[in-house]
Order: sequence, then C-alpha cells, then structure tokens
Amino acid sequence: MTSFELLTPATADEAMAALRAASGDGAAALAGGTDLLLDLEEGRVSTHRVVSLRRLPWRTLDWTGASLTIGSTLPLRRIEFDPRVRSELPGLLDAVRAVGGPALRHRATVGGNLARAAPASDLVPVLLTLDAEVDLVGPGGDRRLPLDRFIEGSRRTSLAPSELIRSIRIPEARPSSYLWQRVRPANDISQIAVAVAFSPARRSWSVAVGGVAPRPVLVPAAAEPLDGPRPSEAAVERAGAAMSQLAPVAADKRGSEEYRRRLAGTLVGRAVRATVGRMPP
Amino acid sequence: MKSPAVRLTVNGTARSLDSVPDGERLLDSLRWRLDLKGTKEGCRTGGCGACTVLVDGESTLSCLALTHEVDGSSVTTIEGVATDPVGARVRAAFAEAGALQCGYCTPGFVMALTGLLREQGRSAPVGELLDGLASNLCRCTGYSAIVRAARLAWEGSP
Repeated sequence: MTSFELLTPATADEAMAALRAASGDGAAALAGGTDLLLDLEEGRVSTHRVVSLRRLPWRTLDWTGASLTIGSTLPLRRIEFDPRVRSELPGLLDAVRAVGGPALRHRATVGGNLARAAPASDLVPVLLTLDAEVDLVGPGGDRRLPLDRFIEGSRRTSLAPSELIRSIRIPEARPSSYLWQRVRPANDISQIAVAVAFSPARRSWSVAVGGVAPRPVLVPAAAEPLDGPRPSEAAVERAGAAMSQLAPVAADKRGSEEYRRRLAGTLVGRAVRATVGRMPP
Repeated sequence: MKSPAVRLTVNGTARSLDSVPDGERLLDSLRWRLDLKGTKEGCRTGGCGACTVLVDGESTLSCLALTHEVDGSSVTTIEGVATDPVGARVRAAFAEAGALQCGYCTPGFVMALTGLLREQGRSAPVGELLDGLASNLCRCTGYSAIVRAARLAWEGSP
C-alpha cells in the first residue's frame, strides 16, 4: 500500500479545499472506509492524500412528512434501527442488511456506497426504485441529481474532483423489496439482485436489477405488466418473463448469463409477491 | 506533517499512541503497539470477522478502521470483554457450549455477539441475532456449537 496523509477537516468547505489543493495523484474522500481502504491497500486507488469526512455534521436521518433524507456519512447500521424505515421503506431495510455484516455496517455509509459506485452495490438498485436523489456540495455550489444520473458506470459517478455527497433524499414511503442470490449469504457479492417498489402517488411499480456490470439499472419493461398495487398472478409472471429476457445480464466468474437470466425473472416474481404482502392494509 | 498522538481508552485504560502512521489499521495498533494479540488477523479484507472489536460499544472490523479515525474512542478487545456484563455472559456461554475448536475465530465471534446483544438484547428475535453472526467465519466449521452458545447468551439476556 502507498502511504498517505490523512486530513480531518471540520467543515465541508475545509474538506473541499483539502481535496482541491491535492497535487499529483489527487485525493480521496474517506467516509466509513470499508471499500476505499481495500482499494488503497490493493493499489486499485493510488493517492497520497485521504480526506476524512468524520467531523462533518452529516450523520443524520430526518423524515419530513413522507420523505426521508439520510446524511451521507451516517453508518448504515443506524438506518436499520429507524422504526419508520422498517415499516415504510422495507426494501431499503432489506438492502442495508445485505451489505456485509453488522460490524461492517457500523462504519460503512450510504455516501461511501454511492460514491464508490461498485457494480454490485446492494443499495443502488433499491434507491433507483425509490427515485432517490443525491444532494451534492461543491466549489461551484450545491446541486441535486437523480441517482440514475449520478451513477455513470462501474466505479464512475458524476462527482467533480472536489465535490462531496451531503445527503440522499427519498421522496416518499414505498412498499418495496430487495432480493439477491449469492454463494454465501453474508459478506459476498450478489450474482444477481432485484429491487421492486410500488409508488402510491404514481400508482405504478419500479423494477431494478443489480449484480450486473457495469451498474445497476431500472428495467421499465419488467414493471410495465404490473398493474396497480395487487397485480394478478399472470401479470407477475409476465413481469418475470420480461426481466429474464431484457435484463442487461452478462456472464462473469460469478455465474453464467443463462443462470442469471432465469434467476432475475424468478426474483422479480418473488419480490413483487413479497411487496404485495407488505402493502399497508 | 507529523500526526498528533491517538488517544484511546482500551479495555478501560487510557492510552496515548505516538507516531502512528496515518494509514495504520486499528488491528495492527492493537496487536503490535499494545501487544493485545487476542484480536486476530484473518482475511484483512473485512470478509471473516476474526478482527472484530467494540468501538464505543459497537462491533467494528478493526482491519477496516484506521487508528486515527477512532481517535478519542473507547475500544474493547477480547482481553477486556469480561469486564462488560454482556461480554461476560457471552464468554460463559461459549465455554458452556464448548463453542470452539482451533479457537482462531473465537475472539471475533465473542466480540460480534457481545456487540449484537448490547445493541438489541432480547428485543430482537434470536434469528436476527444469528443472521448478524453470518459475517463471521469459522474455518473449522464448528457452527452448531457457536449457534448453541449464541442461543444460550440470548436466553440469558435481560
């Protein structure tokens, strides 16, 4: 591992200045570190300056009416114990619990997960179905982006060099589910993962697939057959078939294309049925 | 630029660590600076749980935490676990269930389970507790005795 200097600024302005002032190979922002430290150790990220965000006041979780704002440096474990997340955003709870184990989630953060943009991120598929938006602070001012535009590819985001994620915003409570298939249930990367959510405001479903390169994506064709909060079994079957056919799946060391296509379809059916079971009465 | 000393309370004792490189992991500080060899290095990539300790009462993978990042915290390792009432109960449960073979993973399991019980006690179902242990590996595959120990500790919780 290359040695690096660790800076611990007290404000967002100082953090941006520290990132901007880095010379040579630039600087990396550090939230929980559970992903970045591995990449530094393995040499996949090479930098001589690491800027810790731990003193910034962003470990927050706030409900405003039906919308939820999560500060970017809040440890994932805190999300699990929020009673409204458990009842109103159950798919988010599924996804958070799919990340590592409790000891990892005491440090791993939402902001880190999004900024690192791993192709198999467990949070991104669910957040796509929840229409999450990302709030950024940067030298050019604040901006808000839909998550779908923020994540550009494998390990690629639209973050500018000294820009930071301050928070993510989920606009409304949605019955939702996240299901995955792995060789090992904990601390493993999903071979395929499916998120579904029903929007009461729009009265429509969203379906996303993850565990596929280069990034998790929404699959509108798999949501299209699902009519209303309690779709018929035939509609659920059509959604699964559409997902199997159209998901942007490829083979890699974690599974063949055929295996993943079949799983993607099966998981859509299971996730929709599970979500119907989670609808408020 | 020289980094300031790191101040930690380790197993109840205040410690000040000088000249800790900015990239040093808590795991290495505990083992090599403080000679607390009970905390084990397994995979060093956050995949096995062998290096689990408590930081301010919460289970933490010490291989994935920079020592400077936990400056000011209270750290509990397996050497100090019995001074915590929950930790003492977990340790007794492991002894009663005979929940170890080679013992390498045991400190991590004891610390992980102590952290989970401190967080939720019996308010969470035992299944959730066992799910929380799924990220700890035992290469001897002695899981049934570990599960028995976890159930014992859960049943004995307030």
